[in-house]
Amino acid sequence: MAVLVDEGYQTHPTVQHRFFPYAQNGGTVVAVAGEDFSVVGCDTRLSEGYSILSRDVSKVRKMTKSGLLGCVGFHGDVLTLTKMLDAKMKQYKHTHGKDMSCEAMAQMLSSTLYYRRFFPYWVYNMVAGIDNNGKGCVFSYDPVGSYERETYRACGSASAIIQPLLDNQLGYKNQSNANPAPLTRDRVRTMVRDIFAAASERDIYTGDEVEISVIDANGIDTQRFPLRSD
Amino acid sequence: MFQSRSEYDRGVNVFSPEGRIFQVEYAIEAIKLGSTAVGIQTKEGVCLAVERRITSPLMIPSSIEKIVEIDDHIGCAMSGLIADSRILIDHARVEAQSHWFTFNEKMSIESVTQSVSNLALSFGEYDRKSMSRPFGVAILMAGVDENGDSVLLHMDPSGTYLKYGAKAIGAGSEGAQATLEEQYHKSMTLDDGIKLCLNVLKQVMEEKISSTNIEVGVCRKSEEKPGKFHLLGKDAIDTLLTTL
Repeated sequence: MAVLVDEGYQTHPTVQHRFFPYAQNGGTVVAVAGEDFSVVGCDTRLSEGYSILSRDVSKVRKMTKSGLLGCVGFHGDVLTLTKMLDAKMKQYKHTHGKDMSCEAMAQMLSSTLYYRRFFPYWVYNMVAGIDNNGKGCVFSYDPVGSYERETYRACGSASAIIQPLLDNQLGYKNQSNANPAPLTRDRVRTMVRDIFAAASERDIYTGDEVEISVIDANGIDTQRFPLRSD
Repeated sequence: MFQSRSEYDRGVNVFSPEGRIFQVEYAIEAIKLGSTAVGIQTKEGVCLAVERRITSPLMIPSSIEKIVEIDDHIGCAMSGLIADSRILIDHARVEAQSHWFTFNEKMSIESVTQSVSNLALSFGEYDRKSMSRPFGVAILMAGVDENGDSVLLHMDPSGTYLKYGAKAIGAGSEGAQATLEEQYHKSMTLDDGIKLCLNVLKQVMEEKISSTNIEVGVCRKSEEKPGKFHLLGKDAIDTLLTTL
């Protein structure tokens, strides 16, 4: 991209060339870990600036029979990163004769991201599924691979408006007489659906459809619901 | 065995007309010159025992190391050209740590052995780093996997590796293997396994068995899985020997 700089005293302005390797394609992912299940929701809108590039791009993909990966950020990097991870998962299966566990996948993703520490994949990731002990797990990342196991997390374009809501509803923050009840699949599913409906009202990069997956010992159950499409 | 020895036994990457690679077969012969090593796998864990050949009273016996740790949960016993095995051991250790680094889990015993086997087979390649001849060692790789399975694997210079319940390698391996086949059974306890290892060594060793002329390594399955591999100290071995 060329930037015109008017230095005032020159007849012809200097033309500076800069390299802009990234774009922001929007999208939101929310993941919640329950006792023996986890829930992941994402919207399906892909945007750039004020344009909508697609209304049907899921941000969550299945990596193993008990592990999902959510990716938002620069879609070009999302494509390359997920292709690389798919290849690594397959290689792992061939070398070690078993599927990668969620914990192993989480560490492997962190290393993969950190190897690009100085030209990062511009991708915010989230790993969700069932861990080695059959418990629900969520791992959240920054683009250079710093990661943490958590019970709930929102990432992507609407994360700043969703995370405080999760803190309040699932972390029982800022409540004086909180009554923490164990999470159920239905409660989380409904909550995630409402959260996306609310987020799509305020964030122009979140909308069209919400895709909600529930992962438990029986496998992965995925449903879609409509959101605002303007 | 070597009636047809000919020009074909010189190159490591040339088959003889009968379809053999002599250098690999000679390397397997080299193992039979090494000191005896025994490994036993039980449900409760695995154990390894090797003979130390003390060729001079001036030699410091503890400087002979034929059982080494690969990772917290894996140990390895070897027989043959021990210097060769250092290369394999270094490789196995690096692989185990790199697996832990990338996947945050203990590398399985089979995967470590597979990667060692890849190295063992890479002789005769035209790059500076690779060995010009096959490695002259056989190894027993033993440990407890992250899922709690105890595993014993034997690998020879051809890179072939197989799982065993009990296996002996080295000079006394024929006699030792026969005894193992008689006395080993799947349901034995680890303590009985250790005793059997020592009994077998006692039988095949030329010197009188003692805590200075053998090494013993154990990986016992524990509550905090995977089990930890450790070498037994002199006192522990002495106590075991009194029970034989």
